[in-house]
Amino acid sequence: MELSLKRRKKTTIIPGFSLTFGYTMLYLSMIVLLPLSMIIVNTLSMSWSEFYETITHPRAVASYKLSFGTAFVAGLINVFFGTMIAWVLIRYEFPGRKIIDGLVDLPFALPTAVAGIALTTLYAPNGWIGQFFDFKISYTPLGIIIALTFIGLPFVVRTVQPVLQNLSKEVEEASASLGATRFQTFVKIILPELYPAMITGFSLAFSRALGEYGSVVFIAGNMPMKTEITPLIIMTKLEQYDYVGATAIAIVMLSGSFIILLFINFIQWRMNRKFYH
Amino acid sequence: MSIQVKNVSKSFGSFQALKDISVDIESGELIALLGPSGSGKTTLLRILAGLEGLDEGAIYFDGENITNVSPKERKVGFVFQHYALFRHMTVFENVAYGLKVRPRKTRPSKQEIAKKVNELLELVKLQNFQDRYPSQLSGGQRQRVALARALAVEPKVLLLDEPFGALDAKVRKELRRWLRQLHNEFHVTSIFVTHDQEEALDVADRIIVMNNGKIEQIGTPDEVYENPKSPFVYDFLGNVNIFRGRLQNGKLRQGQFEISAPNYLDSHDEAVGYVRPHDIQIEKEKVDNETVAAKITFIHIVGPTVQIELKREDNGEFLEAELTKEHYKNLEIQKGDIVYVRPKQLKVFIPEDFSI
Amino acid sequence: MTKPLEVKQEVPVVTRTTSNSYSLKESATVKWSLITISFLYISLFLILPLISIFVTAFEKGWETYVASIVHPDALAAIKLTITVALIVVPLNAIFGIVAAWLITKFSFKGKNLLITLIDLPFAVSPVIAGLIFILLFGAQGLFGEWLFEHDIKIVFALPGIILATLFVTFPFIARELIPLMQTQGVTEEEASISLGASGLKTFLYVTLPNIKWGLLYGLILCNARAIGEFGAVSVVSGHIRGLTNTMPLHIEILYNEYQFTAAFAVASIMSVLAIITIIIKNIVSWKAKDV
Ligand SMILES: Nc1ncnc2c1ncn2[C@@H]1O[C@H](COP(=O)(O)OP(=O)(O)OP(=O)(O)O)[C@@H](O)[C@H]1O
Ligand SMILES: [Mg+2]
Repeated sequence: MELSLKRRKKTTIIPGFSLTFGYTMLYLSMIVLLPLSMIIVNTLSMSWSEFYETITHPRAVASYKLSFGTAFVAGLINVFFGTMIAWVLIRYEFPGRKIIDGLVDLPFALPTAVAGIALTTLYAPNGWIGQFFDFKISYTPLGIIIALTFIGLPFVVRTVQPVLQNLSKEVEEASASLGATRFQTFVKIILPELYPAMITGFSLAFSRALGEYGSVVFIAGNMPMKTEITPLIIMTKLEQYDYVGATAIAIVMLSGSFIILLFINFIQWRMNRKFYH
Repeated sequence: MSIQVKNVSKSFGSFQALKDISVDIESGELIALLGPSGSGKTTLLRILAGLEGLDEGAIYFDGENITNVSPKERKVGFVFQHYALFRHMTVFENVAYGLKVRPRKTRPSKQEIAKKVNELLELVKLQNFQDRYPSQLSGGQRQRVALARALAVEPKVLLLDEPFGALDAKVRKELRRWLRQLHNEFHVTSIFVTHDQEEALDVADRIIVMNNGKIEQIGTPDEVYENPKSPFVYDFLGNVNIFRGRLQNGKLRQGQFEISAPNYLDSHDEAVGYVRPHDIQIEKEKVDNETVAAKITFIHIVGPTVQIELKREDNGEFLEAELTKEHYKNLEIQKGDIVYVRPKQLKVFIPEDFSI
Repeated sequence: MTKPLEVKQEVPVVTRTTSNSYSLKESATVKWSLITISFLYISLFLILPLISIFVTAFEKGWETYVASIVHPDALAAIKLTITVALIVVPLNAIFGIVAAWLITKFSFKGKNLLITLIDLPFAVSPVIAGLIFILLFGAQGLFGEWLFEHDIKIVFALPGIILATLFVTFPFIARELIPLMQTQGVTEEEASISLGASGLKTFLYVTLPNIKWGLLYGLILCNARAIGEFGAVSVVSGHIRGLTNTMPLHIEILYNEYQFTAAFAVASIMSVLAIITIIIKNIVSWKAKDV
């Protein structure tokens, strides 16, 4: 039975394999693979010492710390509030629920530059929100975190939401009838079911935040060593026609984010192995 | 612990799932809750466990009104139809859960918990599986983990919703025997839901038959099977042959054919007689008017019993008879033969209170 | 046999208990605190910025607002942005459909690798997306000299902007269609083909009706990103006013020149587009659930 099924699949009567395969490969190569490979080609043309010097320049190193650090913190904030918002949207009925649910997608739909100038103005020292604080928010790492939090929110909400929706009510009821309080049920039963989705949401938000440029440049203030994110360093080098330097920094950033994403995937794989088949 | 359900009603929106239900259950009984799909069995169980609120009525445990007590405080063990195991916890952690979540004052020590869990795992014959996750267990094993988990908190009442529903016939049989033994040992008041009348008749002390949110009958398996109170119960508890006719002088008449019904002396123009397949006798010769001619359309041998399908010669209705293999051999009948069918035991209902 | 126990209370107690226990649900206090916090959070991060855009845009009155939008540079930016979206979205849509057909209707080696590669642009910073096209087509790039000799401009011109936008929005439609078509399997298509329909007819009459909502959803997301892309376009555009400035770049220039009202005026148009996008998205996902 299984064998025949397999064979049938291989000799499917559906037409278009070579056409779609050829087109997909051609388009993928032209738009994505060939351009991306330029990073590697250009890096290889660099001498090691040149490369090393560029990527370990104090300004670059400060920017890695800032970019990875703020993206990480923003990811954590989003995991916390994103999960809470997903919970509220799925579990409670209240006036305005549908509107809030729709608004969660705003960061997907609103151009980053628009978000950038709006947030900067709001959190500037004389802005609607900034005026209530006696420390600066815009033009500091805190401002960067706010912009990145804005960008990442829907990733977490939209990954946690369906999982929460499909959670079986029975498991919660079992916990309650075994004598657990609601809080215990939440921490010991519900939350562990949400971890994989929370991690996925985190890694999506994190990787988006790491490369984010549009919403951050306005609010960051872009002071070297203090509020200069890595994409901005690449940008600055490009403006000075230092393509080699820009490429070197780009490769550090790409490797960094790939390593982190691999690590997150690994954690997730370990968790999944535990309780899914 | 004894349970009294007093006049409980429950609606979901405009749909009334339970209609004025009252049941008394004695301490230590093993009760089967039997009924067709959607009859309200799960709803009743969930109300007993406190997982569902009720609209009207009250529930008493040992005479004490617990209608408003939370599930956490009811000391009820609930075994869900689909087990509802915690899939991110090992078998051990699942069973230990109810003890671990107790407030510090009443929580047993780690060693005590481990000891208790091991005892329970031994009881459900899963001592070698304590480090597995639920996804690594078979259906029957999961079911036993669910049971051990419910027993760990030493419940006063054990509620099981179709505990063997998702298992194959052999495992079902094994587990239900084992449940009976377990019950004999612990004497926890237990109610289990089942679709399977055989299961209910086999293990329960008493059976509650439900239909359409109402209780049709409560009684011992014998009472319910031998003395069904309504056509519904009769029909639900096994295959049945139906004879429609006129009731007169203790006989159910259908033209020439008459069946003696000595317990029914009043007259009715329309009456329905119910006869179980094993109460149908097959004869080769026509002796009197208490038999009717029928043609054998099918013979089906299942182990020691033989099921025979017949078609009545007079009105073309189908009948079903069940014989022992020995009896069948002595009769020397085969497909296509015309035989005479004699209902030996008849239960008559008057169609006023019909619900099938 | 078993005698029912005497119940002490004779009168049945009538109670109505719907949520009688807080071990199954959170208390009302917890519930409303969570709702309030979520509401505040959404207000602070999403609603307030949105409102501030419109308030700032209209701060100096309706006339200034209109003047900022009908300014030739603004109009040019709007035109360029529409042009880019009109080219990019269909191209990526065709690719998305073709790739989804390939991946879901046939089995072949390396399928998972292909899916990963399609997703790759999501993991690349927009700035790097711009950079790679400079490396290819810029003056010092791989094809730079050849292009210069033949007087073809890619970088700092429309083709560069289109390429960078294509890269950034590359996965959107494919990613929406692949899981959808995966769950639908191949049986309907096989039936159609075996009844004698051509591949194209089969796609149009069998596959397309099944995936239309998913496709629309992908188109909307792809379009929103194409219109709003900033980082990648910023790298390849060269910021030539009235020529290679898209709307987001135009906003940046105005903002950096302290023409806040004008910047927010253009931003308000993009915000309206974003709100329309969200509304359509919700209608689509609501329809898709219905089917
Ligand atoms: N939460 C609910 N909301 C609305 N209707 C419900 C709900 N729970 C149960 N019902 C309805 O109440 C009726 C009784 O349901 P219940 O689950 O008690 O049936 P059951 O006897 O357990 O059936 P089964 O044997 O199929 O499990 C059904 O018609 C069901 O549709
Ligand atoms: Mg049920």
